[in-house]
Amino acid sequence: MDMNEIKEIFFQECEEQLAELESGLLRLNDGDRDPETVNAVFRAVHSIKGGAGAFGLDDLVSFAHVFETTLDCVRSNKLEPTAEVLKVMLKSADVLADLTNVARDGGSVDQARSKQLIRELEALANGEAPPPAAVVEAPAAKPAAAAPAPVVNDEGFVPVAFSFDDFGGEEDVLIVHPTYEISFKPKADLYSKGNEATLLLRDLSRLGEMSIHCNMEALPSLEQMDPESAYFSWKISVKTDKGEDAIRSVFEFAEWDCDLEISLADEGTAAEMTDEELPMQPVPFDLSVLDDEPDAPVGVVEEEERLAAVHESAATVAAAEVASNVVQLASTASRAAAEPKAAAPAAAAAQNTAQAASAAAPTIRVDLDRVDRLINLVGELVINQAMLSQSVIENDNNGTSSINMGLEELQQLTREIQDSVMAIRAQPVKPVFQRMARTVREIADITGKSVRLITEGENTEVDKTVIDKLAEPLTHMIRNAVDHGLEMPEKRVALGKNPEGTVRLTAKHRSGRIVIELADDGQGINREKVRQKAIDNDLIAADANLSDEEIDNLIFHAGFSTADKVSDLSGRGVGMDVVKRSIQALGGRINISSKPGHGSVFTMSLPLTLAVLDGMVVTVAGQTLVVPLTAIVETLQPEASAIHSFGASQRLISIRNSFCPLVDVGRILNFRSTQANPVEGVALLVESEGGGQRALMVDAIQGQRQVVIKSLEANYTHVPGIAAATILGDGRVALILDVDAVVSASRGQPLKLETSLAAAG
Amino acid sequence: MAAKKAAPKSLSLAPVLDLNEAQALHGKLMGMRGSNITIDASAVERVGALCLQVLMAGAKSWEADKHAFTFSKVSDAFTKTTQLIGVNIDHLMAKEI
Repeated sequence: MDMNEIKEIFFQECEEQLAELESGLLRLNDGDRDPETVNAVFRAVHSIKGGAGAFGLDDLVSFAHVFETTLDCVRSNKLEPTAEVLKVMLKSADVLADLTNVARDGGSVDQARSKQLIRELEALANGEAPPPAAVVEAPAAKPAAAAPAPVVNDEGFVPVAFSFDDFGGEEDVLIVHPTYEISFKPKADLYSKGNEATLLLRDLSRLGEMSIHCNMEALPSLEQMDPESAYFSWKISVKTDKGEDAIRSVFEFAEWDCDLEISLADEGTAAEMTDEELPMQPVPFDLSVLDDEPDAPVGVVEEEERLAAVHESAATVAAAEVASNVVQLASTASRAAAEPKAAAPAAAAAQNTAQAASAAAPTIRVDLDRVDRLINLVGELVINQAMLSQSVIENDNNGTSSINMGLEELQQLTREIQDSVMAIRAQPVKPVFQRMARTVREIADITGKSVRLITEGENTEVDKTVIDKLAEPLTHMIRNAVDHGLEMPEKRVALGKNPEGTVRLTAKHRSGRIVIELADDGQGINREKVRQKAIDNDLIAADANLSDEEIDNLIFHAGFSTADKVSDLSGRGVGMDVVKRSIQALGGRINISSKPGHGSVFTMSLPLTLAVLDGMVVTVAGQTLVVPLTAIVETLQPEASAIHSFGASQRLISIRNSFCPLVDVGRILNFRSTQANPVEGVALLVESEGGGQRALMVDAIQGQRQVVIKSLEANYTHVPGIAAATILGDGRVALILDVDAVVSASRGQPLKLETSLAAAG
Repeated sequence: MAAKKAAPKSLSLAPVLDLNEAQALHGKLMGMRGSNITIDASAVERVGALCLQVLMAGAKSWEADKHAFTFSKVSDAFTKTTQLIGVNIDHLMAKEI
């Protein structure tokens, strides 16, 4: 596994952690005060920081660190997670996501924004609460050396040690290596995050000759102590030629969780040190016993050993170049070694609170291409199986029962295989919904509105293609809902509403489709304004008499925008018609229902998969067509008495005392030029997107079957009225009817028809 | 002598004394207050700073109680770790009599 693959896995994990982070923060925002939620959020940021550190993603590390510090204040109850605090945190989560994306895909982040957030986070951590350093404020062991210790600042800038031995010539070989005085005082966090002081000290001891003094003054009596807090602190002097960088790299993963001072002692101070009242214990160089720790992966240990050998041989060379290389190697090794340690606290915490986190089922990551190839193959298998059954039926009139039974079993199996393969592609809509949370926050910020996004049914699963294509229309709609739908807080208060607007995003399965609902509690569609706008834009006649539903549907018309001012967010008039088209491209429908003063509800109904479809195979003018089963409400054989003429060419069918327009599919698709006699055919009652019902006239129903969708656009070109194509059992191509397009076409230009209907009515 | 003439209690340490063990070890020691104690660290393969803190705090408390706190046996790993992190346990080692 090369570095890039490991990095890729890291980014995938980052995505999961970011999702975890955001959902945790949102739970906190909803008033969840479960410490495990705070821990989960903290862990997410910490894991990202740890991984980013291993790959040297400094921007990410420094931001994550500040974020983590603030979260730690929340975790230790020093900072109350108020709405304001969470707002900053949610924004920080967004920036963290941006930084992760930039680290993966390149590009740049809004530096000003992240700087600003860093300041805000720091203010939260420092201003309203003592910094986490105060957890254990024991009398710190000050380093004896007077030299000012370089401090690692929050920008992740580590001062480079300027050690003179790097410039040493041959004469340095015999010269005593410089001695570094290190004051190391862990904080409780160091341990709780799974770092282990003993391991750090072991790594340190490998750098050279080391003497150590452990300061136990801070240690309280047994009953007063918190066994998981930090009381020990150390004064260490190391004689090494590896330079200060090597020492710092030992503490790389712990430096934020300890007070660390490193200084170069000259001979005088070193001697002074040893003469002090604190006895320094020389540390034996043979620490092999410690290497057998079960938790250190064998590979890492071996690697460390190998590197240690490199160190030793390098030490005799004492050439500056080699030395710096070794430092690099050493730091790589310590990073590698630190990784499993970083993972440890998560595991430990998970153990402690096993009941809080639902056990995740084991998963594997598979390339999407592979799944798609499998799905294609299964599609071919289904077609092949249908062809096989067909030819058996055609060639063998009686059909021996064993062949027929075998075929039936085969059919069942293929169906099951298909369902299982489809299930592989099915994904919860959660990631899309979570992205919407961010959209809402950003728009709320820009518009100065206060918005709360409530999501329900995030675990509803739908095909990945649908999910991928859902994000854009949903973003559009959310923007509209916040920008146009919700009122400004003052206005809401004046109206007696909660100043905080609510946008509710729900997903659910309903009869083989996924239904996504976006509801806001804003002002609803201003029908007067929409109507006026439509008249101004010559979309409808000034005296047209439109139903409320018809007016609402006007907003889906291309080039329609009701915003008085074109804002940055929405109102360019390309919004809703684009939304409608993308939803339709997914084989979906969209409906609005709006109540003035109470808000609007947009309902989208989408197919669960774009690969197969349950359809009714029908004959129209000698052609075989497939009508999606989900569109069909019922089928009926019209009687002559139920058919009524209406206007010049329109006909209505009376069904249970209500009238429904008859749509001759053959005419609309130009399969024939004359109208078919409805009594000779079959009527399919379909639900059209406007909510009304239409009766589609076809000649005959052949049957119902599952068909594999083959895109017409990809293989040929778009044909109006046709959604896609499929291959039937006899090997012929059948077209899949685009019911909504046919219904619209039956009205001519939809809006023209509405006006003419209105004029007539 | 303030100490009652009770048989010294003994405590055998777990092989792995890491972060997760610190709390448990603390609890065990707390339950053994008030009498002499001998600690068997011969099985220890790995010991972290937190557990050493607990042990040292114990030694301190036992000393304050004027009870004996001794390590009867220690493993190589235990000794090496204490040396590594500069914790001197020589005075706590059981004296050969």
